[in-house]
Amino acid sequence: MSQKVIEIAGKRLPLSNLEKDLYPSYGFTKAHILEYYRRVAEFILPHLQDRALTFKRYPEGVERDFFFEKRCPSHRPAWAKTAEITRDNGERMTVCLVNDLETLMWVENLASLELHVPLARAGSPATPDSVVFDLDPGEPANMLDCARVALILRDLLIPLQLTSYVKTSGQKGLHVFVPLNRKETTFEDTKEFSKAVAEIMQKNYPDLVTAKMAKEYRKAKVFINWSQNDSSSTMICVYSLRARSKPYVSFPLAWRELENLAGQGDPEKLQVIHSEAVRRAEKQGDLFREVLVKKQQLPHL
Amino acid sequence: MARHVIWSGTVSFSLVAIPVQVVRAVESGRVSFRMLHNKDYSPLTRRMFCPKEELIVPPDEIVRGYEIGPDRYILITDEELESVSPERSLTIEIIEFIDIEEVDLIYYDHPYYLVPAKGGEKAYRLLVEVMHRTNKAGLAKFVLGEREYLVAVKSTEGGLVLITLHYSDEILPDEDIFPKEEEIAAEEQSRIKGSINKMLADFNPEQYADARREKIMAFLKKKVKEKVMVQAPEEEKAVGEGPADLIAALEESMRKVKEDR
Repeated sequence: MSQKVIEIAGKRLPLSNLEKDLYPSYGFTKAHILEYYRRVAEFILPHLQDRALTFKRYPEGVERDFFFEKRCPSHRPAWAKTAEITRDNGERMTVCLVNDLETLMWVENLASLELHVPLARAGSPATPDSVVFDLDPGEPANMLDCARVALILRDLLIPLQLTSYVKTSGQKGLHVFVPLNRKETTFEDTKEFSKAVAEIMQKNYPDLVTAKMAKEYRKAKVFINWSQNDSSSTMICVYSLRARSKPYVSFPLAWRELENLAGQGDPEKLQVIHSEAVRRAEKQGDLFREVLVKKQQLPHL
Repeated sequence: MARHVIWSGTVSFSLVAIPVQVVRAVESGRVSFRMLHNKDYSPLTRRMFCPKEELIVPPDEIVRGYEIGPDRYILITDEELESVSPERSLTIEIIEFIDIEEVDLIYYDHPYYLVPAKGGEKAYRLLVEVMHRTNKAGLAKFVLGEREYLVAVKSTEGGLVLITLHYSDEILPDEDIFPKEEEIAAEEQSRIKGSINKMLADFNPEQYADARREKIMAFLKKKVKEKVMVQAPEEEKAVGEGPADLIAALEESMRKVKEDR
């Protein structure tokens, strides 16, 4: 098996199994994956910064078993940054913070194709930086239905003085983020708010939307999963690869672009693949940048 | 009568400083109309439209360009513009006193009243009196809004007016448009002079009025009496001062969303 030692910022990092094809039906090796993350590092790192990483590792590729890892592995390099967090059950846990390129490369060498992070930073675990609306289509509803829901959500939030941002999940759904970036906001607030929004959406668009988790309600509808606004939940990080048959990316879209794509009637057009993600991010910069800095206040809470 | 104060500060020269306020002196006589949507009589607003994409452009996609040629522009940001804008004036510093009759009317731009602020009444009255008697006006530089103006402060009946003046480079040249001087016969001159003298009068502006405006206003008054009125749909309350709780705010927002779709 191929071994290669790279050096980043004076830190040595051995990489292994570079030629292993982790997306066999598409043809995308670990070397490709490392290269992808290297090129999007400047865009993804600010979104990973200081957040407890949940690894989703696919050591044998996307067609085989995966496992979640919330603890930072004990075999981590000495320079990898960590944080101590307390889980809901009171248990202490050491987690990884992916704050630099070398850590990102180490994480990818572990075949953690998907990078999941909480809505709060490790230092302020009770303070979500955003409200998120996780739009999940129940078959035969698809990404186009999600786009319709996302656009209504956007318009619904505007009169409340809330600007929102949208990204693809990289799977079948969309994620709408409403940045808050206020230390006064709690998960209780964001959950109450997102639940109220989901319910009013369901009430007004009963054929399109459901706010109920139960599978039988979700058929042919877009489920607005408001319960993701929880300290124990994680979301796929923007610019992360997804472990599907093709290396699709959770990628930010401009609202106008979503409007255009929604009108074209092809749900596949909403997917952004690795090469397009790199090209577009380099050209347009980070469309999700405002999510990290824009200060907004939830009304009436 | 309380009037909207456009600026407040002091008028000063040598050792004199008088607290004053600038208020409007004139109001356009134009009859203005609101544009309404003929379906429900909602008042319409202006939006920036991109003819190329046939789209309304949101404010965050609008930048400022200075046209330097066909389709060629220099971009300038708010910050850059701010950095070269004059600081707001705190005083109207009179630089010199001039004979107001020397100022050609063509330089007059816009008049404002200059009224005394609290504690300045006595000094103000003194200045009005002296300027009136000497028929002098003070020239000053003065920043209002985002522009620096050359202004004349002169007395009027019982008070002071501030008149913004055009800068000399704003006055268009007149060389080519007026006829060249020519010898004119004496009898012709005296004939014209005679005609003018016969028509001499005092300036009584209240004799004149905008006849079109009066007709429109009379017509509108009649329509008001006849109660031929239309009503816009009830205005949506702005969020924050409106409904007290989140659900109500969302309901209201949702109503708006559905109306627009």
